[in-house]
Amino acid sequence: MLRIRCPYCEEARSEEEFAYAGEAHIRRPEDPEALSDREWGEYLHFRTNARGPHREMWVHAAGCRRYFNVLRDTVSYEILDVYPIGKAPSDDSTGNGA
Amino acid sequence: MSDRPGVVLRREPARGCLNLRGNPRDAGFRNAVAAVTGVELPVESCTWGPAGDAAVYWLGPDEWLLVLPAGREADVERRLREALAGSFSVVDTSGTHCFLNLSGPARGYVLQKSSPYDFHPRNFPAGRCVQTVFAKASALVAANPDGSFDLVVRRSYADYVRDWIADAEEEYGFARG
Repeated sequence: MLRIRCPYCEEARSEEEFAYAGEAHIRRPEDPEALSDREWGEYLHFRTNARGPHREMWVHAAGCRRYFNVLRDTVSYEILDVYPIGKAPSDDSTGNGA
Repeated sequence: MSDRPGVVLRREPARGCLNLRGNPRDAGFRNAVAAVTGVELPVESCTWGPAGDAAVYWLGPDEWLLVLPAGREADVERRLREALAGSFSVVDTSGTHCFLNLSGPARGYVLQKSSPYDFHPRNFPAGRCVQTVFAKASALVAANPDGSFDLVVRRSYADYVRDWIADAEEEYGFARG
């Protein structure tokens, strides 16, 4: 069971209160009409599936109901960073930073 | 089992509730709310404050629950809409919430059985409020100055939560207020 620090409630809470919300920093293409089917399919369905540090979104579903970003190691499950939506990641070592 | 109840669960009368959203960094927003309601919005996360016969709970970084004596919510809502400008939201949620009060020496044990949150007074002193998992439902739990806890649960889960508490408190002896 993870203990996740919600950046809005400003305390660590049990994983039970949260829901996973997929990979973070996926930017919707400015002009979807201009994309090929392959590019659109990659935007919709393809994810980095990182082994190691991974930037992802969680929602504090039973708490403040806000989405936020988490940098989590997918091997050790260690949470390395937590930061609000709209904030750029502190580095892009994961390959899925903005 | 002693004859003194370890837990007292009281169902509170219905109250007027307004869900209020706006920018807490906007002094105009905070001042307008204070002028209409007499309530200072708590900007620190997971805190609440009483203000006369009203109370206001922090729900999120831009969201509060304003609890008023039943019957006053429509008037306060209208006056808030007149006083506030820009991006804000006021929604009457009086029909959504059911208020319970949990007191008695074993009240903390009952909460600990029901939720993953640490309700020990060192972590959850008077003036704190959290929204968390409670039983298999969710609840807003607030610590009162008298040591009791207020629970705000969704009306549709209220019977379930009361049954859950009745089961959890059986070993301590309980009373219905």
